[in-house]
Amino acid sequence: MEIFSKKSILLKAIDVNLEYNGKKILRDINFEIKDIVRPNMLQGQVISLIGRSGIGKTQLFKILAGLNQPTSGQVLVNPSQHLVHPGDMGVVPQDYYLFEWRKIRKILEMAVAKNKAIKPADRKDAIDQYVNDFGLKDHLDQYPMQLSGGQRQRVSIIQQLINGSNFLLLDEPFSGLDAVSIKQVIDVLIKVSLSDELKTLIIVSHDLLNTLAISDCAYILGREAGKEGATITHTIDLIEKDLCWKPEIKKTIEFQKMVADIETLL
Amino acid sequence: MDSYKEIFQPFGKSSKFIFYSLAIGLLLIFGLFWHVTTSSGLIPKPLVVLSSFFNIIQTHDFIEHLFKSLGLTFEAMFFSIIIALIIGYLSVIPFFAPIAKFIVKCRYLTITGLYFIFILLTKDADQLKLSLLIFGIVPFFVTSIVGIIACISGDEYNSCRTLGFNKWETLYEIIIVGRLDQTIEVIRQNFAIAWMMIVTVESSALSGGGIGALLYRYNKYNDLPNVLALQIVILLIGILIDQLLAQMRKELFPYTQITAKSDY
Repeated sequence: MEIFSKKSILLKAIDVNLEYNGKKILRDINFEIKDIVRPNMLQGQVISLIGRSGIGKTQLFKILAGLNQPTSGQVLVNPSQHLVHPGDMGVVPQDYYLFEWRKIRKILEMAVAKNKAIKPADRKDAIDQYVNDFGLKDHLDQYPMQLSGGQRQRVSIIQQLINGSNFLLLDEPFSGLDAVSIKQVIDVLIKVSLSDELKTLIIVSHDLLNTLAISDCAYILGREAGKEGATITHTIDLIEKDLCWKPEIKKTIEFQKMVADIETLL
Repeated sequence: MDSYKEIFQPFGKSSKFIFYSLAIGLLLIFGLFWHVTTSSGLIPKPLVVLSSFFNIIQTHDFIEHLFKSLGLTFEAMFFSIIIALIIGYLSVIPFFAPIAKFIVKCRYLTITGLYFIFILLTKDADQLKLSLLIFGIVPFFVTSIVGIIACISGDEYNSCRTLGFNKWETLYEIIIVGRLDQTIEVIRQNFAIAWMMIVTVESSALSGGGIGALLYRYNKYNDLPNVLALQIVILLIGILIDQLLAQMRKELFPYTQITAKSDY
């Protein structure tokens, strides 16, 4: 097993409940994400929130992003553990929404302008570095509509990263992609997670295989018999199972067995 | 042969050549129908109207009236755009929302019914016509702008929030800058309303001239060839300005001409 330790709490969901018109959507959501430390390397966190369609993943996604308020409970973020606000979390929506009327360069300039850690003089270099790393150098003067779905997704990711957020919430990042594109997305997400100690990716998905392959921890969102509203029914620590941080993990029998077991939990 | 079958099928593919051929064909059929069915002499035949058209556009009187009307329409459009945009954009601020709602409802009011009130409120014929036009255009313009804003999805606002934009920045980026192309489209649609109204307004207040007054004069003396010739002029100028605004939209907002990549 890999040597690691878990340090400070980066995110904590405490008793999160959500109701709409008296109907309970989410119930008693409690979990926390800690900073994983591995010797001699930068290791971010990749957490998956897995559940069936319609279970309430998107609602939880919006609460974690600070876009919606829970009926009760709270989400605390960063080492300072303050209440989450919009802007604390980078959000990559399923449709990779971008400002269609702006060229990619301008979209990224607007995002980096909000990052207080990057001085105005260094903004251009920051953009250049990201577009080089993500293979988008030749697309800076194009409009979002001129990009493919995969390129839009990468712009959306850069937009949030360059904005300065350590958290990246991704809604169904593998949805509707072919095998080659999924591989590219996985590479990008791994690259992001290894770029900074505090980088934390939260992937909301129903694609078990691909999501678990890059996660270090998975929370299963489901319903308990006789109780209304979805809650976290299982927590799967992939580091403890030694099914994490391995490039060819999807091919291993242990991993495939674990995926099959989780499928039965949904 | 297959391409001809396509033009009779829903969502069939066509070309510019076929489109213009069909349009010219339709025009010729209409002209022929007009020519054949107007034997009584009450309604002038198309060639008589065409002859009047070429005569009328060469008269100094007509040019003067035309520029008077165009000037007034552009002036009214300019003020209407400013008023309507301010009211439309401010409609997302709760304090101003009732004003926008009230203006939207005002489109059911008739200009004719308020004509006398406007005479009392304005100093001269030019001011009267300008006020009537603005009063007529603004409610339609505000309705369109409010409609555009209502169609913006919550995800767009959320995207700004996650990037740390404050509410004013979000208003500027999503509603003002992001919808400028659609605003031009609204201007295009409302220009047609303004151009239609100018004739009504000018024929109500004759002293200032304009093609509406000219049309009134021709109608009064039952000069049908010139009335119809003037209708052709009004239609052609409307189409020309419509095309200019469409071209302006293309040039200023090139992204509106891009179709999304379908491949991943």
